[in-house]
Amino acid sequence: MQQDSQPGNQPNPFEKIVEFVDERVGLKTIQAKMLNEPIPGGSRWAYAFGSVLLFIFILQVVTGILLMFYYVPSTDHAYDSTQYIIHEVDYGWFLLSYHFWGSSAMVVMVFAHMSQVFLWGAYKKPRELIWLVGLALFGIVMGFGFTGYLLPWDQRAYWATVVGVEIMDKTPIVGDFMARFLKGGPTPGQMTLSRFFVIHVMVLPAALAGLAGLHIFLFRKAGPAGPFRGTPEELKAKTDYFFPRQIWKDIVAMATVFLIICSLAFIEPVVLLQQATPDPGDYHPEPEWYFLFLFQLLRLKMFGGELGQFLGAIAIPGAFMAFLAALPFIDTNPERNLFKRPVALIGWIVIMVFILVFTLSAIINREFLH
Amino acid sequence: MSNIKLGLLVFWPTFWTGFPIKLAFGLLLLAAHMHPWEGEGLFLLLLLSIPIDIWALGLCARTVFIDRLKVDPQPGIGANLWLRWAVFSAMALPLIKIIVSGATEMAKSVTTNMVHAIKESIYPTLPVAEQITLELVMWGSVATGVLILCLLAWLYGLGWLTQPFVKNAKSLEGTEEERASFWDGLRIPADQPLLLTAFTGAGVVLVFVFWALLPSTTPHPHEEYEFISKGPKEEKVEPKKVLKEAEKVLAKAELVVKKLEEEKSGESKDSKDQKGQEPAAKEMQPEKKK
Repeated sequence: MQQDSQPGNQPNPFEKIVEFVDERVGLKTIQAKMLNEPIPGGSRWAYAFGSVLLFIFILQVVTGILLMFYYVPSTDHAYDSTQYIIHEVDYGWFLLSYHFWGSSAMVVMVFAHMSQVFLWGAYKKPRELIWLVGLALFGIVMGFGFTGYLLPWDQRAYWATVVGVEIMDKTPIVGDFMARFLKGGPTPGQMTLSRFFVIHVMVLPAALAGLAGLHIFLFRKAGPAGPFRGTPEELKAKTDYFFPRQIWKDIVAMATVFLIICSLAFIEPVVLLQQATPDPGDYHPEPEWYFLFLFQLLRLKMFGGELGQFLGAIAIPGAFMAFLAALPFIDTNPERNLFKRPVALIGWIVIMVFILVFTLSAIINREFLH
Repeated sequence: MSNIKLGLLVFWPTFWTGFPIKLAFGLLLLAAHMHPWEGEGLFLLLLLSIPIDIWALGLCARTVFIDRLKVDPQPGIGANLWLRWAVFSAMALPLIKIIVSGATEMAKSVTTNMVHAIKESIYPTLPVAEQITLELVMWGSVATGVLILCLLAWLYGLGWLTQPFVKNAKSLEGTEEERASFWDGLRIPADQPLLLTAFTGAGVVLVFVFWALLPSTTPHPHEEYEFISKGPKEEKVEPKKVLKEAEKVLAKAELVVKKLEEEKSGESKDSKDQKGQEPAAKEMQPEKKK
C-alpha cells in the first residue's frame, strides 16, 4: 500500500490495460504457458520449421484475402481479373507472385518439417497422434497447391487440373465420384472453377486452421522430443525455455524465408500463359514442380497402360502414405538416435534421391517434347 | 579435431548467420531494379558482404572455439580468418568450378556413348523417359562424387587455415555451464533494450526503403498481355465514306417515305370503297389506332 501511494510506482496507462485484460482472460498465465515451455537439450535451428510453416500460412491468408478483393472466380473473368491484378492493381504483381511462391515454400517447409521429425524419431510414442495430424496437414497443403493452381484459368492451370483429375479418377471406388464432383461436368468449366475456388478459400483454410491448432495442442501436451543424442543428465543441463533463444531462432528463420519468397517474387514473377481452352495446342500439360517426380514416373514404360497408371499414380503413392501413417505403430523401438536406425536413414536418403532424380528427369524431358 | 570438421563447424553457421542480412540487401537491390548477381548489383553486394562476413565469421568461430574446443581465441579472429579464407577461396572456388564442370562434361559424353551403345546392341527400343533417367543417374553420380570430393578438399583447406588460431588460443577452465555463461557475457550487450530498439529501428527503415523502391506496377515486360495494349477499339473516321453512306441511307429513306405515301393514297381510295367495314376494323385493332 505504501508503494502504491508513491507516484513513481503508479502503473502507467499501458500497464493498466494489461492488468484489466489479465484479470478477465488470464493473459499472464497464457503468456507464461506459451513462452516458458522447456526445451530439453536447448534451442535448435532444426526446431524452427513448424513455426516457419505457421508464419507462411498466415501470410498466405493475408495475401490471399488481398487477392480476393480483385479476383473473379468465373470462367469469363478469372483470367482477365488475374491479368488485371498483375498489370493494373498497385503492387498486385508482387502480392500474386508472393502468394504463388509462398505456396511452394509451404510445400518445401512441410517436407523439411516431416524429414526433421522422421530423422529425429520424434513420431514415436507418445507422439503418434502429432505425426498423424501432421500427415493430414501435409495432405491439406498439397490440396492447397492443387486447387489454387486452377484459379488463374490459363492453359497451364487448366491442363494441370485435367491431368490431376484424370489421375484422381483412377482411384478405386471413390475415384469416379471425386473426379465428377470436382469437375462438376464432363470437362473443366465454371462448375470446376467454382468448386476449386470454394475448396481453396474456405474448406482447406478452415481445415488447416483447425488441424494446426490440434497439432500444436498435442505437441504442447506431449512436450518437445529434444535431441536424439545425449544422456538425460546432459539434456537436463542444457534445457532452455522457448523464450528467448528458440523464439529468436524462429524469428530469424521466418525473416529468412520471407526474404527468400520476396526475392523469388522479383526474380520469377507470375506470368500467365494464354487463356484456358479445351485445345492444348502446342502446350504440353505439366503439374506444379512438386508433383513433377510423380508425373515423370508415370512416363516410364512399366507404368504404361491402365494397370500401370493405376499402380504409379494411386497404388504406390497410396501405399507410401499408408506406410507413413502406420509408421509410429510399426516402429515401436524407443531408440531415436538416427545413427542407430540405419534403415530409417538409408530409406530417407533413397526417397530424397528418388524425388530429386525424377524431378530433374522431368525438367530434362521438356527438351524432348519440343 | 580434423581440418575438415573444423572447417565445416565454422563455415556452416557463418554462412547462415550472414545469409539473411545479405538477402535483405539483395532484395533491396532487386526492388531498385538492380540484379545482385551481375554488374553493379553484384559489386555492391560483394562490397556489403565483407563487413557482414567478418562479423559473422568472428562470432561463429568464437562460438565453436569456446563451445566445442574449450579455448578462447585471440581478439580480431573474424578479420584475420576472413582474410585467409577469402584469399584461399578466391583461388580454390574457381578451380573447383573448372574441375566439376570438366568432370560433368566428360561424364555426360561417356554416358551418352554408353547409352548409345546399349541402344544399338542390347535394347534398341529404350524409351525416352527411361533413357533420360538412366543418363541422369550415370553422369549425375560422377558429378556429385567429384563435387563432394572438391568441397571436402576446400573444407580441409579452411580447417587447415583455422588451426593456427586454435593453437594460439588460451584454454578455458570450468564446467560447461560456466563456459556458456562466459560466452553469454561476452556476446550479450549490457544494454539490451538499446540493442533491441536499434534492431527494430533498422528493420523499420529497411521496410520503408523497400516499399519506397518497390514498383507499384509490374516491372517485367509481358508482351502477351492484351489488357493494356488492346484498349478500346479506335475507328478511323473517313468523311467522304461517311457522307456517301449517309446519302445512301437518305436515298433509302426517301424511297421508303415515297412508298408509304403511295400506300397511304391507295389506302384512302380503298377506305372510301370500304367505308361500311371501318367500325369492325376499329374493334379488332384498338391499340394500333391509338
